[in-house]
Amino acid sequence: MTTTAPKLGEPVTTDRGAQVKKFLTTAGPLIAFIALAIFFTVASPTFSTPGNLSILLTQLSILLVIGIGLTFVILLGSIDLSVEGVMASSSLVFVLLATNDRNDFQFGFFAVIAGILTGSLFGLINGVLHVRLGIPSFMVTLGTGAIGIGVATVLFGGRAPRLLDDTLRFWGVGSTFGISNLVFIAILVLAIAFVVQRFTRVGRYGYAIGGDEAIAKLSGINIRKYKISAFVVSGTASGIAGVMAAMQLGVGDTTIGGGMLFTAITAVVLGGTLLVGGRGGVIQTLIGVGIIVVLANGLILIGVDPYIQTAVQGVVIVIAVIASGWSLRRRVRVIK
Amino acid sequence: MKLSTNGRPGLRRRLVTAAAVFTVASLALVGCSSASESGGDGGTAEAGDVQLVAAIRSLSNSYHANWAAGSELFAESVGSKLTVLSDEADSQKQLAQIKALAGSGQVYALNVDPNTSADTEAIVRAVTDAGGYVVTQWNKPDDLNPWDVSDNWVAHISFDGRVSGLEVSNALFEAMGGEGGIIAIQGILDNVASQQRYEGLTNALADASGIELLDTQTANWSRSEALTVTQTLLAKHGDKIKGIWAANDEMALGALEALRAAGLEGTIPIVGFDAVPQALDEIKAGTSGYVASVSSDAFWQGGAALSLAYKAATGEIDVASLSHDERAFYGTQIIVTQDNVDDFLTTPALEDLQADFDDPFLRSQGGIN
Repeated sequence: MTTTAPKLGEPVTTDRGAQVKKFLTTAGPLIAFIALAIFFTVASPTFSTPGNLSILLTQLSILLVIGIGLTFVILLGSIDLSVEGVMASSSLVFVLLATNDRNDFQFGFFAVIAGILTGSLFGLINGVLHVRLGIPSFMVTLGTGAIGIGVATVLFGGRAPRLLDDTLRFWGVGSTFGISNLVFIAILVLAIAFVVQRFTRVGRYGYAIGGDEAIAKLSGINIRKYKISAFVVSGTASGIAGVMAAMQLGVGDTTIGGGMLFTAITAVVLGGTLLVGGRGGVIQTLIGVGIIVVLANGLILIGVDPYIQTAVQGVVIVIAVIASGWSLRRRVRVIK
Repeated sequence: MKLSTNGRPGLRRRLVTAAAVFTVASLALVGCSSASESGGDGGTAEAGDVQLVAAIRSLSNSYHANWAAGSELFAESVGSKLTVLSDEADSQKQLAQIKALAGSGQVYALNVDPNTSADTEAIVRAVTDAGGYVVTQWNKPDDLNPWDVSDNWVAHISFDGRVSGLEVSNALFEAMGGEGGIIAIQGILDNVASQQRYEGLTNALADASGIELLDTQTANWSRSEALTVTQTLLAKHGDKIKGIWAANDEMALGALEALRAAGLEGTIPIVGFDAVPQALDEIKAGTSGYVASVSSDAFWQGGAALSLAYKAATGEIDVASLSHDERAFYGTQIIVTQDNVDDFLTTPALEDLQADFDDPFLRSQGGIN
């Protein structure tokens, strides 16, 4: 019996029936996404117009970047709740260092780097506290998230500093070939993340640690180093997302990441990455984000009453998660 | 201190447990007693002893930052310190912070913006139990009034969103030339301010035959959500949108960014509420299409309401003798357009508000109905 070399993060199977099931499991979210897209195309005349497709891509970009960062941490079996605080801090650091209406700094592109590195710093703090002090990731990131909001509030100083640098604003507001520039940034981040996930130790050992940490440790992997790296990746991604949001909105704001954390976690889970770790990836997250964005956009286009939109979104998400995990439910999985 | 138990580990564990239980019990006892210590029925205090407190959502939005600045102005005028509590939109946190005020034993004058209408009752009862004096603003249940609860709940101040909603909507229609389709972006659907302002819009629409409401969505008071919603609505309705109505400035500014991204900045008039600094700048510049906003004068809200609570706390105002219209009233709202925007661009000095601090009822528009 021949077996194809298993891909990272996918179950190993050898016979036809199981292979079909495996296909459905991993392709479940993709099927859900396609089903939603077809439904809205049929139900609304404007859904599949180029204008709306361009908007869908824009709405997808910041959420995707956050989701990518979260994927690396969730693959470990941990969680990163500091996203909104990190986005707030990095957006403010970025705006206050670029040309703005509060002070005379004009660092341009270096302000972008500074904003992103702010995120990396928070990620490093998360990782070190979690790994060295043994504090559960849930608690550590909750705390650093609050610190992030606090730092942002101090920098905020009562009113939102406005980004006045035209070049940087163009990245957030302008478009190339009819597609928002933010989309290109998101695609770049996705490409880099995919390479890291597939071809570097940070990515591959992340799967191993998430799959079974004890075994990974026994086989000689430096657990600490790779766990910290995953948190740094997540923090960096949140930093990038904060900078992107600041470019899009033109201000640094403490609430810039409002609501994005749970939307991003939902997207990651919807895409097929397991919260217990070991299975999933950034491409799966892309599909999960796609489902969320298409759903929100489509419900407005078909005219669903705003009062019940949130409820409808919740129902669809629950159905999608159940459908994706249907064949896995009989396996012994630790659900916490 | 090492407990010598001569090889009886059970005893040591029991002693430690007993000590822990005793400590916790005594802490609880102390905690409970200090909460009920101060009298409940409204004794007043000397001017210097009253603690001044402002409880708001967060200092990271300009509206509440201005509110706190107004409270600070009042505190300076009476030579006292101000305590600012921010609850970050967490109802439980707000209630806990207010209950903790009782711990100081001082009479306090509190000016609070309750997180939601459902929180108001718990807040005013906590203040009553602690013998403090409170003025609430914006959110309270319709069927609960200050005179139903106690003299410690001095007054409730709100702003009639229906009035400002109507005026701002008319300003929008005028900028549109009386013709065209609009989209309306609402706040949190459960909030009184959002519902009243939308009602104002509906009333204005009834009289404006050339204007059509194409669509309404909620962006929950958030700038980023408003950007996303507006993008989608622009895709849905395209050229038919000739005006954008948003229930607050943060959302209107988000909608403005969506217009910028679509290359439509300046072609579509926008209105909002709250008169935040960035909105005022846009109105003054006049190039982006931002036409009007509404100011409830957050500085006044912070200062005059605190003054009212303070005067009740010192006995200068006898709460029992106040009429219903004085205990639940609407404040004054001002439409801000390019004509009068300059008046709102600067922080007021003490002289500008002293008259309102001396008579907090100066800007009353009548009782709440």
